[in-house]
Amino acid sequence: MEFKQLVGSRRSIRYYQPWHSVEREKIQTVLEAARLSSRAVNADFAKAIVVERDSLSDEERDSLKTPTTQAQLDLAPVWIFWYADPDAPKVGKTSLKLLVDAGALNPSHGWSHAYVDDVVWPQVLTPIINNPAVLAVLVCVESGLAICQSLLAAVDEGLGTQLTAFNSEAAKPILQVPDHWIPLWLQLLGYPAESPDGGGQRPRGPFEEMFFEGRYGTPFRRDPAVVDRLRAARMIQEEAPHPWRQAEVRGLSRMFGLPE
Amino acid sequence: MSEDLEGVSGPGPGDLAELASVQRWLRAYGVHWGETSTPSEVQHRLQVLAHFCGFCDSTPDDLVNSLFREAPEGRRIKLKRRRAVMAQIDEFEREVGKGDAKVGREAGNVVRSFLIHNGVALTATPLR
Repeated sequence: MEFKQLVGSRRSIRYYQPWHSVEREKIQTVLEAARLSSRAVNADFAKAIVVERDSLSDEERDSLKTPTTQAQLDLAPVWIFWYADPDAPKVGKTSLKLLVDAGALNPSHGWSHAYVDDVVWPQVLTPIINNPAVLAVLVCVESGLAICQSLLAAVDEGLGTQLTAFNSEAAKPILQVPDHWIPLWLQLLGYPAESPDGGGQRPRGPFEEMFFEGRYGTPFRRDPAVVDRLRAARMIQEEAPHPWRQAEVRGLSRMFGLPE
Repeated sequence: MSEDLEGVSGPGPGDLAELASVQRWLRAYGVHWGETSTPSEVQHRLQVLAHFCGFCDSTPDDLVNSLFREAPEGRRIKLKRRRAVMAQIDEFEREVGKGDAKVGREAGNVVRSFLIHNGVALTATPLR
């Protein structure tokens, strides 16, 4: 799928074909996309555990649900539990030197092994690592970048996907994650039972209230010609709900025996 | 379904229609789905709800109120109570269905719909 159309076509899918398993190669592709995301100090902030829904017992599945995530967890055949690893930047001293050696961080921009050893590690990274509040922000943002790529890769593979909450306390003994990992999201994977466009692109706030030019309060001018071009490229699509969406939701509810 | 619900104890369907929680449900259901239910559809839903209220020895208003508590920061849902009610609905489904999962589910979903449109987030295990 072309990139602009891919960005415009991603939806949070909440109805999956529960009988349609996901090919292992597609799961790997989703993870590979996450691995290649932009990341500070080239550290592995995002960690994930892939679980086949049907490998869990009924009790385990139920324990992982939250009030509004029950149905989609039962429907999606693959669950990816995403965590952030606060220990990740501890490799910074080594990983930054690797970037120097790889020609990514160069003397033209002031980078050298000595700069990493004498300045970046002791004066920048170490204070961040020792400040839990700052560290949490850093690792969660960096992990979010990886998760975003995994969402787009899933859509590109023809899958439905969604980030949803999970009971992280219940997940600990099941997944046996290290205590210091920060639970983020549960990403569901499966083939959509609903229309892949989810009944239309979700409503968003006005562009001019989100993005500014020069200083806060001066909206970034949105060029209608660009909007038209993005519509043609399917990045901007028809806004939800399509006229038939309610009928689709009702049909899905009845097919799966879900309440109305 | 209607025949299954005859002769049960608890409030009758007509007794429920004026209750605040029931009115809120029927109004919200109509607004959400953009339709006006027929009198017989409403009567059927009320009959199922009345059956459930007899089943758990409660009233619709009390059932909803039992799921919330007042806290300094506002109304809060009681999660343990919610789980207990969900289990009651599952049990109700089995009793009403008498081995027919779809019949039981239809009844259970009437009760779930009532609670959902009164602000109690819950759903059912999908039939698959």
